[in-house]
Parts: sequence; C-alpha cells; structure tokens
Amino acid sequence: MITLTIDGREIQAPENAMLVDGAKYGDVEIPYFCYEPKLGAPVGACRMCLVEVEGIPKLQTACSTGVKDGMVVHTQTARVRDAQEGVVEFLLINHPLDCPVCDKGGECPLQDITFGWGAGTSRFIEPKRHFVKPLELSPLIAIDRERCIVCYRCVRFSQEISEDYQLVLLERGANSFVGTFDGHPYVAPFSGNIIELCPVGALTSRAYRFRARPWEVEGGGSICTLCPAQCNVEFTVRDERVLRVLARDHEDVDDGWLCDKGRFAYQAIHVDERIVEPMVREGGELRAVGWDRALETAASALAGAAGKAAGLAGGETTNEEGFLLGRLLREGLRSPHLDSRAGTPLPLALRQALAAPALAATVPDLEFAHAVLVLDCEPVDDAPILDLRLRKGVRRNGMRLAIATGRPSTLDSNAEHSVRIAPGAGGALLAALDAALGSGGDLGALAAAAGLAVDEVRTLATLLSEAGEDVVILWGERLTDGPGGAHAARALLNVARRLGLHGPQGAGLLGIPAGANGRGLAEVGVLPDAGPGLQAVETAGRPAAGIAAGLADGELSTLYLLHADPLRTHPDRTLWERALEQATVIAHESTMTETVRRYATVVFPAESYAEKEGTVTHPDGRLQRLRPAIGNPGQVRSEWRVLAELAERIGHGLGVLTGEMATGQVVEAVPFYARLTLEDIGGRGVRWQERVAASAMPEGAPGPFDLEPLPAAPAANGALRLGTFRSIWAAKEVEISPSLKFLAARQRAELSPTDAERLGVEHGEPVEVVHDGASVHAIAAVRANLPAGTVFLEEATATEPVNILTDGEQRLVQVRRP
Amino acid sequence: MTRDVVRFEHGSRVPGWDDAVDLTKDPAQIPDPATTPVPPELRAQIEEYMSRYPDRRSAALPALRAAQNHHTYCSPEAVDQVACVMRVTPAYLAALTTFYDMLETEPKGTHAVYVCTNISCSLNGAEELYEAFQEAIGEDPDINLRTFECLGACDIAPMASVDGTYIGPLAPGDAVTVRDDIKADRPVLDAKQLRHRKVVPQGDPS
Amino acid sequence: MTALLFENIDEEGLNTLEVYERRGGYRSLPKALAMTRDEVLDTLVESGLRGRGGAGFSMGKKASFLPKTDMEKYLVCNADESEPGAFKDRELMQKNPHQLIEGIMIGAYAAGANRAFIFIRGEYDFQADILEAAVAEAYEAGYAGERILDSEHTITLVVHRGAGAYICGEETALLDGLEGKRGSPRLKPPFPANQGLYQGPTLINNVETLCNVPHIIRLGVEGFTKHGVEGSRGTKVVSVSGNVQRPGNYEVELGTPSRNIIYGLAGGPPEGREVKFWFPGGSSAPILTGDDLDLPYDFDSMAKAGSMLGSGSIIVIDDSNAVLDVALKVAKFYRHESCGKCTPCREGTNWTVKMLERIERGEATPMDLEIMAGVQERIIGNCLCVLGDSMAMPIGSMIKKFRDEFEAHIERARAEADGGPVPEPSALVGVAGAEPGPYPSTADAED
Ligand SMILES: Cc1cc2nc3c(=O)[nH]c(=O)nc-3n(C[C@H](O)[C@H](O)[C@H](O)COP(=O)(O)O)c2cc1C
Ligand code: SF4
Ligand code: FES
Repeated sequence: MITLTIDGREIQAPENAMLVDGAKYGDVEIPYFCYEPKLGAPVGACRMCLVEVEGIPKLQTACSTGVKDGMVVHTQTARVRDAQEGVVEFLLINHPLDCPVCDKGGECPLQDITFGWGAGTSRFIEPKRHFVKPLELSPLIAIDRERCIVCYRCVRFSQEISEDYQLVLLERGANSFVGTFDGHPYVAPFSGNIIELCPVGALTSRAYRFRARPWEVEGGGSICTLCPAQCNVEFTVRDERVLRVLARDHEDVDDGWLCDKGRFAYQAIHVDERIVEPMVREGGELRAVGWDRALETAASALAGAAGKAAGLAGGETTNEEGFLLGRLLREGLRSPHLDSRAGTPLPLALRQALAAPALAATVPDLEFAHAVLVLDCEPVDDAPILDLRLRKGVRRNGMRLAIATGRPSTLDSNAEHSVRIAPGAGGALLAALDAALGSGGDLGALAAAAGLAVDEVRTLATLLSEAGEDVVILWGERLTDGPGGAHAARALLNVARRLGLHGPQGAGLLGIPAGANGRGLAEVGVLPDAGPGLQAVETAGRPAAGIAAGLADGELSTLYLLHADPLRTHPDRTLWERALEQATVIAHESTMTETVRRYATVVFPAESYAEKEGTVTHPDGRLQRLRPAIGNPGQVRSEWRVLAELAERIGHGLGVLTGEMATGQVVEAVPFYARLTLEDIGGRGVRWQERVAASAMPEGAPGPFDLEPLPAAPAANGALRLGTFRSIWAAKEVEISPSLKFLAARQRAELSPTDAERLGVEHGEPVEVVHDGASVHAIAAVRANLPAGTVFLEEATATEPVNILTDGEQRLVQVRRP
Repeated sequence: MTRDVVRFEHGSRVPGWDDAVDLTKDPAQIPDPATTPVPPELRAQIEEYMSRYPDRRSAALPALRAAQNHHTYCSPEAVDQVACVMRVTPAYLAALTTFYDMLETEPKGTHAVYVCTNISCSLNGAEELYEAFQEAIGEDPDINLRTFECLGACDIAPMASVDGTYIGPLAPGDAVTVRDDIKADRPVLDAKQLRHRKVVPQGDPS
Repeated sequence: MTALLFENIDEEGLNTLEVYERRGGYRSLPKALAMTRDEVLDTLVESGLRGRGGAGFSMGKKASFLPKTDMEKYLVCNADESEPGAFKDRELMQKNPHQLIEGIMIGAYAAGANRAFIFIRGEYDFQADILEAAVAEAYEAGYAGERILDSEHTITLVVHRGAGAYICGEETALLDGLEGKRGSPRLKPPFPANQGLYQGPTLINNVETLCNVPHIIRLGVEGFTKHGVEGSRGTKVVSVSGNVQRPGNYEVELGTPSRNIIYGLAGGPPEGREVKFWFPGGSSAPILTGDDLDLPYDFDSMAKAGSMLGSGSIIVIDDSNAVLDVALKVAKFYRHESCGKCTPCREGTNWTVKMLERIERGEATPMDLEIMAGVQERIIGNCLCVLGDSMAMPIGSMIKKFRDEFEAHIERARAEADGGPVPEPSALVGVAGAEPGPYPSTADAED
C-alpha cells in the first residue's frame, strides 16, 4: 500500500492501482466510460476521467495514471470540473433523449455520470443527428448507433478478448461507427459480452429488450451448468421468470465473461416444450399423470428390477442428485450398473492418479503458466470460457501455447506450435512425447503411430521442457474415452512426471470432462467401478456400453436416466435403440428429447439450473453452489426429492428431507470433501484440493506403461478416417431457445481440399458418409487447414446423428455424393 | 428494418449508420483458402509485402492498395482476398478501408484525380479549378474525381494529383487538357508536373 | 544564404547514389560508426538540433531515452507530411533521398535500432518510388542492411506507404498505421521511446530532422551550432505558400526575421495586398498578424508570440480574404482528419464546423462566438493527442484576433438571410494593421 492525497485527504491504495481504482479506497469516485481493466491496457479514449495531478501541467487521465507514493491529486478543482462537464457535454451532443424507452435506463453509466458530473444544460443547439434504429447487429444483439458514445469497449472485446475480430469501428472521426464487414452479422461464441460491456443503451440483447426495467427485477446468483466451464452467473428475474443472464465475475472461474450459450440459453427454461408434469406411457402415448401415479409406476418397475436396474447421469446432474442415484441403485436395488461417462471406463487407479491434488492445475494457471499444451480438446467447444483464458495468457503474459488435436483448433493462430494427430491418437502422441522427453522409446515408430513427423514431436517436447517450470496440460475426455484410453492416461501421467508437473504450484493437468459436472459425478461415485470419493466398490457394475448391451440382451431390465440422453451422446446408437426398446425407461428430463419421446415409460419433469439447489464440481476441483433463482414451474419437483421418495417406496429410505441434507451426505461420503458446508462454498466456491481433507484422496497408481507403439491408425486406402467433435452449439437448450435456435448444430462433413477434390465433392454440396450400411447425410465443408485423410462430423446434432456410425472404435468411412 | 422517415432528413448523414446487417449472411471469419480464390499475382504481391515486416499485419495498407489496383476499389471480394492471404478477418481490413482516404469502398473510376481544396490551394482558386474539372470530366466512369485535403504541394497551388502525378499551378482551362491526356494515356500535363520544378532561387533573405 | 540540407538541391541526379557520393555524401556514416553510440548521442544533444516535425523536441535527448538494453529497437522516420501548408519533406526526399537515408542510418546506430522504417504518406507515390530506388542503392553499396560498411551493425530499412490520413503524422498513430491498424493515437505514457513499434523502444523523427544528422556529424557541434540562434540551432527549410508571389521551400537560418522570409524570399502578397494574418507553423499554429512580421523565425520567438514554429510552414493570407472562410477550411480539415478515438476532438471539431456553418448561413448570434470560443477551450489540453488542439488553437486565436470581423459577419449574414439592409462590409472590418479589402461573398463558398 502507498499513500497519496486526493482532494486534500490522505488515502492508502495498493501499489500498482490506476488512479480511478486507487481513489475508490478513499471513497472518491472518478467517472469513466472507456476504462475496463478486463479489456486490457487502458486506451484513454473517452477523457471522462481527467484529473489534476500536482506537478504535471496537463490534466491526466486517471484510468491510465498509476498511483504513486506522495502523489497529490485533485478531482474537484474548477479546471477538472470544467473538463468533466466538457466531456459530458460533448458526449451528449448527439446522444438521443430516449432514456424513457431505453433498456439501459436506470442502470446506465452515461445517465449516472451526466447526473453526477454534467452541467445540467447543453449549449448545443444544432439538430442532433438521427438514424434508423434499432438495427440488428446479429440475431442476438440490436445496435442503436445514435446512442453509441464510441468508447471502444465492444470492439476491444471482439478484437482483444475473444479475438474474433468481427466487430470494428468503421469510418473515422465523427462518422465513426461500430459495425461489421459488408453487412455480415456479428455471430461469434462470445458476442453477447458486448451487451454487458456497453456503458450506454447502444448494444442491447434482442431477447431482453423491453422485457423489464432495472427497478422491477431481482438478481439471483448461481452457476451455469450448460458445460464444464461452470461460469458464475446472475439471473435477472422478474415474476418468477428468468429474463436475462449476466456474468458474475469470478476470476478463478470465468474472468467475468460468458459464452452466448450461457447468456441466452436461459430461454429454454420458459419454453412451451418444457416438461412440467410427470408422465407415464399408456397405450404407447405419454400421458400426464399425478406425481403419485408416476412415482408408483417407477417404484414398482424398480422394485422388480433389483440387480437388473441401471442408471445413467447426464452432465448437468448435481453432485447430490448423482450421489442419491448411486445410493438408490447400489443400496436400494443392489444394482451397481451406473455411469456418468459415455466412453470406455478408465481403470480406477488411473483415475485416482489423474485426480491427484499435486497434479491439479487451476483455471488461472492456464493464464499464468509458462506453457500450456492443449491436448485432444477444443476449448471453445468443450469449455468455452477457457478459450478466452488461453488467449489472455498468450496475449498478456507471453504464455507459450502448444496444440495437439485432430481437428484444426481455433487457437492454432495463437499457438507457437500446433500438431495434427490422427483421430484417437492422443495416446500415441503422448507416448511419442514421452520418448522425445527421454524415455528411450522408439520415437520414430511412436510418432508415426500418432500420424506425426519426428520433428513435430521434438519441437513440442522442446517447447514444453524449456518453457519454464509452470507447464499445464489441458486435456479433453476424448483422450481417454476410446479403447486406448488407459494407455493414453498412463502416457499422460508419464509425461507429467517427466515434465515435473507434480511439484510447482502453477503446473499440472486440467482435464475437461464431457459432462458439465463430469468431475463431480465421478467424485461422488457415479462410475461403474468407484463409489463416493473414487473408492473402489465391492462389485463393479457395467459401464455405459455394457449397460446398453445388458439391456439389449435382457440381462438388465430397467434404466434410470437422470438428465441423460444416450441416443444423443453415446456411441453406438443402433445398440442403444435396441436397449431402450427392451428396457423400462424412467427418464428425469426437462424437455422432450428423442429418448423420452420414443422410449420413456415414466417421465419425471426435471428442474432447470435456475431452479436447482445443490453443488457441482468444476474441472479444477472447485465445488460451486447452485442456488434457486426462481420457483419450480408446474409440478416440477427437485430431483433429490424424487429420488428420495422412490427409495422410500422401494423400502430403502435415504434419510434426505432437505437439499442441504443431501449435500451433507455427499460431504460425509466423499472423504476429500469432508466437513464442507454450503456456507463454506458460498458464492465463490472452494477448491477441495486446497483444504486439509484433500489428503484423503486415494493415491492412484499409473501401473506399468508399455511404450510399444499402438497399432497405427488404419490406412485409409480410399476410405477416410472418421473424426468427430462436439460443437458448443450442440445442446438441446440451444435448439429450443428461440433466439439461439439459428445456431443449432447441423451435420456437416469437414473435408480437406485434397480429399474433396479426389472425391469430386464441392464445398456446400450434400454428401453421404457411410460405414457398414449406416449413413449420415451432411453438407460438405471444405477447409484448407484440415489434414488430408480424415473427415470430421459433428456429434450430438439433432438430426443425422454421427453415433450411428461409431461404437467407440476408430472408424474408416466412405464419403460420397448421394 | 430500414424505412424512410422524414426526421432523418436533417442532421449529418453518415454512410453506413442506417444499415443493419444481413441476417442471412454467415459471420465473416478469416476466409478459408479452400473456398476463396485469389489471383496469383495479387497473392504474390501481398506475400512479398508481408515478408517485409516482423508482423504480417503491417502489410495491410500496401496489400489493400494492391488489391484496389487490381479490382479498381476495395470491393468486398477484394477485401476477402486480402484477408485470406493475410490471415486476418475481413472486418479487420474494413476498419482500414473506411479509415484511409485513398482506399475506396465504392466502385470508382480507375484513374484518380484528386483536386486539393485546402487553404493554400483555395486561396489560389482551387474551387474554380474543381468546378472546371467537374465540367470537363462530367460523369466519366473511368475517372474518379474528388476533392482532397492538402496534398503537400502548396508551392504549386492550385494543384491536383492525377494517378499520383502532381501537377500545378493549374488554371481552370487545364482541366480539359488533363482529361484528354488521361483518356489518351499520355503523361498528364507534362509541362506542369511537379517533378520538373526547381527549388525556387534561394535569395538572400535580408 | 545558407545551404546545408539544400546544398546542390537542384542538381540533376542528386537522388542517385553516384552524384550524392560525388558531392561528399555518405562520409558522415563511417565517421559516426567510428564513434561510440554515446559519442554520437552526445554530439546530437550538443548540436541543439530540435525536431522539425512539430513539437521541436531535442533530437539527441529523444534518441538517448531509448533503453540501452539489447531488445529489438526501431527507428521510424516520419514522412507523413500532411499538415496543410507543409511540403518541405517532399522536396528533401524527392531531390536528395540519400541524405535522409544517411541520417536514418546514423540515427539508428545512435539509438541502437536494427530496423528502420520510413512512413511516407500514400499520396507521395513519386517520392516513395525515388526513396525505394535509393534504398535499394544503399543496400547494394552496403550503407544499409546486414553489417553495414562491414561493421557489426545491421540496420534494415523499409519504405512504408500510408493510404491517406493526416493523423498518421502523429507519432503514435503513425506506429499504429505502420502496424497495419487504423491510425489512432495511443495513450502516452508509455512513450514510443519505451514502447513503440511492435511494443519495442522506438525513435521517431521527422524527415528534416534526420536530414540534419549527417551535417551535424560532418560539421561537428561547433560547426553546426554556428547556424541558427540560441535555442534554435541550424537551418530550417520553410515552406511558404498562400497569398505570396513566390511560394516554395526556402532554407533559412533559424532566427531570420519572418518578414524577410515572407517578403524577401517569397515576395510577399500580390501587388496591392497586405498580409492580413499568417500561420507560422502550418495550419495547426495559432495565427499571427501583420504586426508580428518582424519576429525572428525560431522556436522560442514563435512560442513567445503565442504561436509555434511547428513544422515550419508559413501560410500567408492577404487582406482580400475573410477570416471566416479560413476558419471554416481549418475546422473542416480537422473534422475530416480526426480519428474519432477521443471525445473532445471527435465531437468538438464536428460541433465547431456546425457553428461556423451557421454563422456563414446567417443563423448565428454573437453569443455563438462565445460558445465557440468556450468549446475550443474545452478541447485544448483535454484530448488524447494534439490534433484537437491543432484545430482549437488556431480557431481560438482567430476568434480572439478577429472578433470584430466575426461579429460583423454574423450581423451581415443575418441581415442577408433575413433580406434586410446589408451593412457596408468595409466599415465593419477592423483588423490592426490591415487594410480592409473587398469582402468576398460567402454565400457561394464551396464545401
Ligand atoms: C496531428 C499531428 C500530425 C502530425 N503530423 C506530422 C507530420 O506529418 N510529420 C512529422 O514529422 N510530424 C508530425 N507530427 C509530429 C509528430 O507527432 C512527432 O512529434 C514528430 O514526428 C517527431 O519528430 P521530430 O522530433 O523530428 O520533430 C504531427 C503531430 C500531430 C499531433
Ligand atoms: S456501442 Fe456501446 S460499447 Fe460500443 S463503442 Fe458504442 S458506447 Fe461503447
Ligand atoms: S476512462 Fe480514462 S479516458 Fe476513458
């Protein structure tokens, strides 16, 4: 802390603060518009923050002047007042007087600053300029150019934070305006943040426009569970309806940004498609019945399926819900068949080793690391907000980024080194990397198995070993969910050890699970071979694929789907169709998914994330708390309560009467969560690795690691390797939110120019991707930077599902014109 | 969404301010080389420019001027091509084409006639000169006639720049000759080209 | 008569390496390379050379601000020359490009820069072609590029063409322009000497400033400081234009009486006309009147008179012109050239133009003059760069020095607009020292 004098009073401020922030420590407010530290270095554009600093003749911008010990600052002198009034006067010259019908009114910095620092009158008597307004900037955002004060915030976001560089200032001088190239809409994964950044009503949410005034709404803080990034959000609520989602700045989680899915998919909470009553299938039709009938039907089905019941939990399931499902199945029905992952299970010892607290990297580590390797994941799709973190690390902190993925990454241009591996060859790459780092394996053969040249692996190895001690490997579940998953996990642990990632605070692994609460669900025991706390269970159950097979051939009879939709997310759709056909399906769902519509026997309406109470665990181990912002619509009941009632009805009470009791049970059962309370978790969350109880995490063992190269990816000879990816927009919430619908993922086949030419396929043409009689129709997308020999299809699309072609093994497919 | 509203008649009119985006278009990301053909000469030229600088983006202005020469103006297609070679978004370049005076964003004649109308030139009759040019050139689609801020040749005021060649001092009567020279592809008004001009005899100031 | 930069300026072929060398060129570069960096810097500081681009800051001091670390450093030559009235750099580059190149090489050596750029305005294509040819020759001869003159110093030089924006003359906007962005000024600090081009330490100097450098090395401190006066050493290439009989570039000793430049060299206004007012340093300098003609033309005298030497470009306006016309030209120029980044400049230039147009249309009252003067005051000193001031200062000075004429105009234009009796113009123009001339009608003035 240093001491400076502002307006005659001595105040203490932190050493490297800018004056605008430093002044707050002395309760002095200096007005500003363009300053926003989240956007990077100050630009000094608006000139609102001018103050007098003794010893400097010109007025200085407080947003860019650092506090210094002994500095003497005046914010109230006639000179300063005149400059401030001047800037307000200038800004209002062309600003329209439509505050009464402006969405921003009441929460508008320009309004507040005019009131506080303006002269109250204007000498401008020329006609104000008027324009047609509002105009679309995108399907999500409206722009009102009359209101814009050219503060540069929105364009800085697009250019320097999301780096999509689609939004720019056009023209110059007084003609400057915010726009895009040649009338293209500003559509990008993070575009909605500009609405929150705009200090006036120039950029407004088309979904929120005219829905409410600031004084009629309440804010409710919670967590977005639409993806593993688990951003902290604030719901804007009016009359029990969520009308808007704002960021609830948490620098260890989201850095104050949201993706557009998180910002706009709240609409899915209030659509007509929402299931709000319990239903039972009668005569082939789902019919609304009361809770009692539904519970009874489900309970008797379960009771009759002891030992033959199975459960799948989807990614948005909370820790409490997953835990109770586990108890219901394992204790109540003696059925250990339970999974929260779609892929091949990993041996438990490996899971434990991967989750070791000493190896755990945090979200901020991505930003401050010396180097980060992005391995087999696409952050913008898999955990979008991390994409911004990585960009920030490269841009501001000189973090060195390396990428190893099958499909070209949007981060490639920020990376120092990018390699393209064959789909499913992440493990091979790691083995090669391990060899390059000195394990003594046959680098040539190992690199070839990954589809890489030796030099590419060497460069990667050098980058990671020489960058500095803080190295983070950000890997996606894709790495370990195939048949070679265990090999890949061992190789990953080996590489981590060789790079010394166990030691330093800022180094480690960060795995992005496929499901939003994938980490939490594993830790509370929603795994076939592990109970709460990643502890081995006596009798291991079947993993997801085994459940499908068991149901299909009659060895299992009843399936409990807790927010899970295997037809969408799990490989081998054909098998799942057979399985669901055979089984009694109890589905806990909020919307009419295909699984529910075609196969559910009993449907329980599920809560939306804005209605939920409970906890989830962030990929970096942070337990975060969901708090209900609105009441449950229709007859919706909390899932924990439904699970508890079912257990009661089959004669195995769980002893849960409140949501908090459920949390209590989780905390008690998971040794490394021990004694955590909801109060502890609070609004900011707690990383369990930072608590004493972390030592209760079972120590895993990587087991013997075989450096023999895996069999090389199958030779294509005329066929193409099939790669898949899941886009950020492949989500049911996107499909049913009116304003996001237009983004919903549609099946397309990404081809390299070489393959496209060989196959005679043009960009934009329909094609058919075929394997073993099954086919997927897609639109061809020819991309120059795609590696030849592979075709990429999207996972989890609403139609033309790719999982009809896959069963988890590598696939060769034919691409042809239909 | 655009409608004609009378009250928009007054106040300053700024091109672009009234335009909404076209929601049927895709967002403009960095163009994919696989689907963006670029004339090879233009590509080679842009790549050569990029090689001159430590950061490829420094080549943006020369590259856009090259594309403008190729396409007669910075058309959306031209911008897309530059964006594709330079690996930047077209919007990055649109921010430049609308900022810099020499980059044209509307179709224009291939020959540029800039008539300086800044202080020194207008003190010496630039307005009449410009009118004479307007009359001589009329609606000729090959010639892009426009007024320009000070071109840095007040010593030959009033003056004009024809495709980069400075000529002056001009009399209104010169406009027709200039037009004819342009149309005949001759050096314009050779006698009045700046390159012939000697530094004025440096007398003893006292 | 003095000729340093203009020595042999009209000699055929001086733009070629051969003639330049024959005339003694490229002798200072090896001499400088034989000195240590600090010696060169000291020489530059002691020479008293002040920047010729506008701000008049000591060139040697600025060069010595660059950190002495071994990070990548840059020298950028500012050849944007877009200020109304300025055309001296054009002459220097077109006729004697090697003089500039030699200056750049010495400057880069002194500053420890390995890469140099010349940012030349896009309209100067002819001069840019000449420069590029000269740079190629210099590379060929080993004066530029890898290991110049077989020393261990590598200094590359690239000619970068702008595309039409006055603001790119402002040094930080120039850097953005050179980085391939919109030419918008950056916040200072950090100053370019610490964080400039590509975030590296950067020395930015005007063409004429750098052209002086070989002469300073050649003449030594003592020889160079013989030129000019205390505080303003050396000669100045002055661009004289407007209402003068012999417009052109003149190299004079700094400190030469202004009258001698305007009348003696440039021949003064046409027969029968008097100087009504003049811009001593391009259109951004506050105006001076006929009363100020005897001031010595140097940095400090101009500053003391409330104006500035700026780029050293004199625009003379004779008594046949109305001050309003010139004010409107100036204001429109700056409105057109404002980058739009900061509020006071973007809005203030626009507002000022609108007010001046209203005066012209006869829709203003004398109170509007008050407002206009107030607006200028709220611009001055409050902008991100000094472009806003560059309009506000001359406009402010015009209102101050020609208030009577503005007021008379307001009355007359209002009367005209109302169709009432129009007061006699000659009776209303009251400018110290200036003969009232016939008053051109503003009704048909062009935009
Ligand atoms: C709006 C504006 C325009 C300028 N234009 C030029 C210019 O065209 N040429 C120039 O050399 N300096 C120009 N300058 C001054 C530069 O910012 C800078 O001070 C100068 O290039 C430094 O070089 P010097 O120290 O050699 O004078 C301009 C400044 C401003 C504020
Ligand atoms: S639209 Fe809003 S955020 Fe963007 S420049 Fe204008 S006022 Fe600032
Ligand atoms: S907040 Fe300081 S200039 Fe805008």
